[in-house]
Amino acid sequence: MSSKCEKCILFAGEGGQGVQKIAQALNLAASKSYQSTYLNSFGVEQRGSPSLAFIKISDKVINYPRFDHADICLIMNSRSIPVIEKYVSANTEIVFDSSTISITELTKISHKKYGVPATKLAFDKFDKRSYNILLYGVITKMTGLDEKESWNAIFDLLGNKFKTKEIVDINHEAFIFGREASLEERDFSEPQFETKKGITIIKNSERKAIIMPARCKGCLICVLKCPVKALKVGTDLGVFGTPVPDIDIEKCIACGNCKRFCPDGAIGVEKI
Amino acid sequence: MSKDLSKLMPKCWNQDSKPHLFCPGCGHGITLKQLGYAIDELKIEDKLTLGIDIGCSLLVWNFFKFDTIQTHHGRTTPTMVGYKIAKPNRIALAYMGDGGGYAIGLQSLLHAAFRNNPITVILVNNENYAMTGGQMAPTTENKVITSTSPNGKQIEFGPGFKGPELVKNIANKNAFITRTSVSQPEVLKSMIKKALINQIEDEAFSFIEVLSICPTNWKTNAAESFKRLSEMEKYYPLGEIK
Repeated sequence: MSSKCEKCILFAGEGGQGVQKIAQALNLAASKSYQSTYLNSFGVEQRGSPSLAFIKISDKVINYPRFDHADICLIMNSRSIPVIEKYVSANTEIVFDSSTISITELTKISHKKYGVPATKLAFDKFDKRSYNILLYGVITKMTGLDEKESWNAIFDLLGNKFKTKEIVDINHEAFIFGREASLEERDFSEPQFETKKGITIIKNSERKAIIMPARCKGCLICVLKCPVKALKVGTDLGVFGTPVPDIDIEKCIACGNCKRFCPDGAIGVEKI
Repeated sequence: MSKDLSKLMPKCWNQDSKPHLFCPGCGHGITLKQLGYAIDELKIEDKLTLGIDIGCSLLVWNFFKFDTIQTHHGRTTPTMVGYKIAKPNRIALAYMGDGGGYAIGLQSLLHAAFRNNPITVILVNNENYAMTGGQMAPTTENKVITSTSPNGKQIEFGPGFKGPELVKNIANKNAFITRTSVSQPEVLKSMIKKALINQIEDEAFSFIEVLSICPTNWKTNAAESFKRLSEMEKYYPLGEIK
């Protein structure tokens, strides 16, 4: 905060990732020692819409909460990259989730890129719901905010959800880990949680099942409605990073219930 | 479009806008799939115009290959009535949620039924105002918890609103009024076909209420959603009403 008197921070993710919560917390933490504003913007859909938060921190009075170019930009999913491109200048420092976003998607837009394999870390080390807290730790460190104030802000906001001491501890660990994490600058890790591309075709001599993971949102209605339990939760990931159903083609009777009930047109079976 | 992909979804669905904008497990997707198959089977894709309401139903704006009209909130029915009067050879289909049909747009729906305007109305009832965060709606049943009725819907807000039973009382004798559910997709498809044929051949009003699921605002998974839907079906009886 000392080198420049004003910092513009842009958060970009999707509905359901907790983007707005950590943006609110950052605003709250910054408002203890500086002037700060918070402005949100999202799409019409509740799940999977681009969700942006504009934070401005300054030691002077802030006249207008929007900005043209961000100083720090946090990207939490690859679908929001086209939306935030116009807010990124050559000097913008980009922090991205390197376990879901491939670096090739970002090469065009900025020079300063820092990867954090946040999804992988949250799954392996902490609770999967501490994902945004971990990234919050990274951002507060980059902004230069005080550790104690930052944690108090998140505790004020989410205190009612931290029902047991274990939840508090694991989130605090994730927060501290985020603050102390060394950011990947050149050798970015490979994305591990990516939507499987293309069409999966599973067939035997009588039946053929077609699954398209890029359309599957992971509601698992097909698994529920399968009369012979031929479908189960699989390992491939769909468009929201949720598991895609896996089919046992020998058990399948090609009744077509999965296709009938799938709201997204992601699965179908037919007799050959 | 590859040959395999065409087997997954109706031909009249716009492939470029998929995955669509609805939440995971949304009942709109199931309804629109059966609507798509009904349109495919009747081969009326180039004759049909769809009017959509405000609310979750507006996410249908680029769903199909045929023309779609975005109307004001609750004014889908009169807009499609006007469209049908101006272009009698086209098939007018109004698609709305329970907020647009029963709350703000009820008088339009009643008068269209009263005048027997030859349009088809599909109303998707998920018992809440889903796009704005699951608030209590007229269709919410008693004791159901929503974001604006944290202790359950109180009796002074009325019981769940039974639309088709109301519309039946003033509708013309040729009108087709029914209630169906996303738990029975094949029945849903046959009802949609019947309603569209009613518009084309008898030139009469037809109205379908579709009981639907809303996993995001009900905060349920697939099994719980369909369990709650089966309880809804006890309060809102299924079947042809007129």
